[in-house]
Amino acid sequence: MTQGRMGASGAPVVSFENVRKVYGHVKAVDGLTMDLRPGETVAFLGPNGAGKSTSLDMLLDLRKPTSGTIRMFGSDPYHAIKAGRVGAMLQSGGLMPEVTVRELVALVTGFHPRPLPVDQTLKRAGIASFAGQRVDKLSGGQTQRVRFALAIVGECDLIVLDEPTAAMDVETRQAFWANMKAEVAEGRTLLFATHYLEEADQAADRIVVINKGRLLADGTPSQIKARAGAKRISFRLDRIDEPFLLGLPALVNVEIRHDLVQIQSSDSDRTLYALLDAGYRPREIELSSLGLEQAFIAITTEDDNSTEDADSTVHDSTVHDSTVQDSAAQRADGYARNGR
Amino acid sequence: MNSTLALARAEIRRLGRNKRYSIFSVGLPVVLYLVIAPSVKHVHVYGVSYPAYYMIAMASIGAFSGALTGNAQRISQERKDGWVRQLRLTALPANAYVIAKIIASMVITVPSIAIVLLLGRFYGGVHMELWKWLAVGGTIWIGSLTFTALAVALGYRFMPDTVQPMAMFVYFVMSILGGLWFALTGFLAKIGHVLPTYQITRIGTDLISNQSVPATAYLTILAWFAGFVVLAVLAVRGTAETV
Repeated sequence: MTQGRMGASGAPVVSFENVRKVYGHVKAVDGLTMDLRPGETVAFLGPNGAGKSTSLDMLLDLRKPTSGTIRMFGSDPYHAIKAGRVGAMLQSGGLMPEVTVRELVALVTGFHPRPLPVDQTLKRAGIASFAGQRVDKLSGGQTQRVRFALAIVGECDLIVLDEPTAAMDVETRQAFWANMKAEVAEGRTLLFATHYLEEADQAADRIVVINKGRLLADGTPSQIKARAGAKRISFRLDRIDEPFLLGLPALVNVEIRHDLVQIQSSDSDRTLYALLDAGYRPREIELSSLGLEQAFIAITTEDDNSTEDADSTVHDSTVHDSTVQDSAAQRADGYARNGR
Repeated sequence: MNSTLALARAEIRRLGRNKRYSIFSVGLPVVLYLVIAPSVKHVHVYGVSYPAYYMIAMASIGAFSGALTGNAQRISQERKDGWVRQLRLTALPANAYVIAKIIASMVITVPSIAIVLLLGRFYGGVHMELWKWLAVGGTIWIGSLTFTALAVALGYRFMPDTVQPMAMFVYFVMSILGGLWFALTGFLAKIGHVLPTYQITRIGTDLISNQSVPATAYLTILAWFAGFVVLAVLAVRGTAETV
């Protein structure tokens, strides 16, 4: 695990200290420790069920940690929330029906100790065009933007968003992040949960990866991608020398099926050059970026093997995690069917 | 407190726009009174004329149905939808949501009681001093708090699908056995004695007929109210984790 932060300085806006949340025998969050520094935009990245929402719920005082401490601006999260220092948008956050969008935004604006003009909020959230509509008559994407508006009705220091673009189409999503960048340009700290690596990559200057309630990686987007083995190289090779392939530089993972080789690499150029330099002439070379799921397999595999070095060699058969192995197997099947 | 009142105002505005609410808590009692009261002008019940009894009963029906079935369903639905969670993320005090619901409920029951009492006076021919009008209306009004408390308890404890039939069941049992749809006699009246609905009606009729109200009437209502408040507090506390 990577711990300790470089870069931004100052007292932490948010700190998780060995936070655990247990439901029965399920560990939703298992010893999470991290700090958020002022002005950072941090993506909380993980697959569904990784513990992102539970962590954010605890941060926002909607759930109590089983053990550990969460502090916000140096005090209990409850006090920071009641002082209006946090603007938050939850996946599970609902809206009051039977009122218009404007009435709802005006109502919630009235609760804020440092309110901003309602018209301005409507414009910033991109909902001015349907402000007169009733809340219960909106589309999913519109509802999501109204939720966002409620998070920015007042001046706040920290914005917390749980999968903010979930119900949005591509266009709306881009508009959303354009607005969001303007919000954080004023020095606010932003923490958002997502399961899209691309979104984390584009919007965040720091990514915290969690899976099964544990922190797996913490770094800049390029660091995370490097650790995840950012590229997949696949090719066919007649005489396969497995020990040699395992020794290739920047290699994260190798899968071999007959003459088909699939490599995850944190530096595809280096891996490929080394292969060619050794005199191999692979056929049907394909290079592709890894999706988040594969990135997770790489990071989880690495984590399970307790390796600190991103360049270390991990063979597919050593994957401990059964679900990860299953999904890897399913993908391999998919490739076989596609005849690639 | 200002923001709690703002939330209460919004709740009142919503209720005012809700057609179902208006039909059940204002429309239904008014129509029933208009239809039934003239046909029973000379019948006496609980020591008063039937139109006088029926005025109290219908005002109670409207007030209690609004307080119980309306609130329980809404609270449950809004918890499920996450509106209650959303409010917890604002600077609103922790109990503002429940307090606003109670305030809104109290405000919205005033017209449903007042309209039926006015009908009783000008259509049903019920006469009494002004203070008695206020006392009769006030008793029903305060009494409806019992059902608001129960609504909070049900709304916080159960999911919307469960709440609606439960609230309807309680409402019908309480209103029928409490003698709100028709005056009770014999065995049914004995059962009715233990219910707040019956006692609220009887305080009203006793006021009209100049009889002294027995202390047990107040104690019965108070006991139910206290019991429902305890259930409501337990329900709200019990769900603090998940909202």
